[in-house]
Amino acid sequence: MRECLALVRASWQTESSYRLNMALSLVSLALVVVPLYFVSNALQPLMASSIAQQSREYFAFTLIGALTFALVSASISALPSALGAAIGRGTLEAFLATPTHPAVLFTGLSAYTVLWALVRGSVLLLAGVVLGVHVAWGNALTGALIVGLLLIAYGAVGLVGSSLLLCFRTTGPLLSGALTVSAFLGGVYYPTHVIPSWLQEISKVLPLTYGLRALRQSALRGDDFAAVSGDVAILSLQTALLLLIGTVSIAAALRHARRTGTLSHY
Amino acid sequence: MELAQAVAPPTFSPPRLDGAPARAVQPAVRAEALTKTFAPRTAVRDMVRFTRRAPAVAVVDRVTLDVFPGEVFGLLGPNGAGKTTIFKMLSTMIAPDAGTASVAGFDILTEAAAVRGALASVPADERSLNWRLSARQNLLLFAALQRVARAETEERVTWALRTVALADTATKRVGEFSSGMRQRLLIARALLTRPKILLLDEPTRTLDPLSARELRQFLREELVGRYACTILLATHNTDEAFGFCDRVAVLHKGRVLATGAAQLLTTRYGEARYRLVVRDAAHPAFAQLERRGLMQRAGAVERTGDGWSALECTIPGDPSRSAEVLRLLVEAGAEVARLERVELSLADLITRIIGADAGVPRDA
Repeated sequence: MRECLALVRASWQTESSYRLNMALSLVSLALVVVPLYFVSNALQPLMASSIAQQSREYFAFTLIGALTFALVSASISALPSALGAAIGRGTLEAFLATPTHPAVLFTGLSAYTVLWALVRGSVLLLAGVVLGVHVAWGNALTGALIVGLLLIAYGAVGLVGSSLLLCFRTTGPLLSGALTVSAFLGGVYYPTHVIPSWLQEISKVLPLTYGLRALRQSALRGDDFAAVSGDVAILSLQTALLLLIGTVSIAAALRHARRTGTLSHY
Repeated sequence: MELAQAVAPPTFSPPRLDGAPARAVQPAVRAEALTKTFAPRTAVRDMVRFTRRAPAVAVVDRVTLDVFPGEVFGLLGPNGAGKTTIFKMLSTMIAPDAGTASVAGFDILTEAAAVRGALASVPADERSLNWRLSARQNLLLFAALQRVARAETEERVTWALRTVALADTATKRVGEFSSGMRQRLLIARALLTRPKILLLDEPTRTLDPLSARELRQFLREELVGRYACTILLATHNTDEAFGFCDRVAVLHKGRVLATGAAQLLTTRYGEARYRLVVRDAAHPAFAQLERRGLMQRAGAVERTGDGWSALECTIPGDPSRSAEVLRLLVEAGAEVARLERVELSLADLITRIIGADAGVPRDA
């Protein structure tokens, strides 16, 4: 835990040394939420019936979609980005040469990005509340559980991407592909039942599909946990499976890098 | 005049190049037949043409070493000799293909975490610091990762910074440091855990001569003398090899060619070289001594400008034989102004050991 916190603190110190970049990161939220508000309100009559199972307001629907997508984007790219930076700086080998377990190192290296995304997401949510979004705060725990599962599931995909990075110095199309498919077929801006049936088959394997549906029902409609338990169960299974794949792949990648002597290579 | 027949033909018995502590002591670092082979990268063109891959290259080839507690052990050799790869295998960053190694009694393959806790490594690459953070912030991060006790962290970081004379610039960003300051910070980082074993890859490469001397003094007095730390260092520096290391191993193409105290290796491989300043470099006495195997001229004759000539020669055997050669030259009528020993440089030593290599490691 102390090692994780030290890595988070070092990441914060590094990022906050780029002050303008940090300020712009927060200011840019306004550029997201304001257009989203006006466009969603304009589309409300058109979308009202199709989103009824998850939300009454299209602005709230898209806000939760955009916010969650930003979180999973951060989660999937956190470790590959951190590892890429550590390889570039030459610190990866120095980190791995310490007695700290690689799992703790990787968690600590990616934690800052995810935490910062959570801060940005919270700001976005508060802005939505100010603009009239009704959130069922009583279901906050359920919401936190769903967000946690989504972060782990997409973080696990990031582990696979990190494995590719360690072995080939590129994540290939994996991360961008996973994010693109999730954005278009995971129900971020429209419910998955409105997309063509053959594409719905793809959306059924995406953790975001189940996570977003459950999150909206819980946070926006105020449904209790029993109502979303089916989606949460599927999401949990997907998360467990992805985590297993991610863990196995990163362990194999580390072994490969140690065998080929490429840990310190650019 | 005929040279005196009384001079016995030179005999050369290599001294034991010991310098190592008694074998009963458990080594701090032990490598047995450690081997690492890297496959060369295949070009895209060759992959497309299905060209046969070039054979793998043994970067470290059956290296066997024992380094004892409190010893300063140097790895010498030209670039690509395998020094850094050995360090990386010992620090568990590269897995060996064959052979075994232990650090502080822990196996590098099966007890990697314990190995990483027992040793600290100072890489030659100063990039391994976070340049956006200050020196203190860098050390605080690594103190946590190295599991320095929380209560001791501040004190240990301050001590390490003071030790490498960076206390005054502790809050300055590493990106604003000079190359030498970064090198010192890397050493401070390694000192945080007061390691039992310290791996230093060319530690004084970017230091000025005074700082380098101070660092060596600190390592010897503080780490070795006070904490009985074992130091392995890769170096190209003559002062370090001859004056700082208790023993050295000369590596070439991944193999250990010789091990022992650098001074003794110099005697073993040095063929003591002398510089003679004489009036007549073509005096027949030289040819006579050469025919009898008492000396061998080496290199070109150099005119000194005042009617004298300087030439280098080797006089095999005991150093006292040079006095005998001088006496014989003078008795033969050669005018000799000076006869002085030429110190063997590190480069010469390595070159000679590589040249003398017959494929069998020469261990102490």
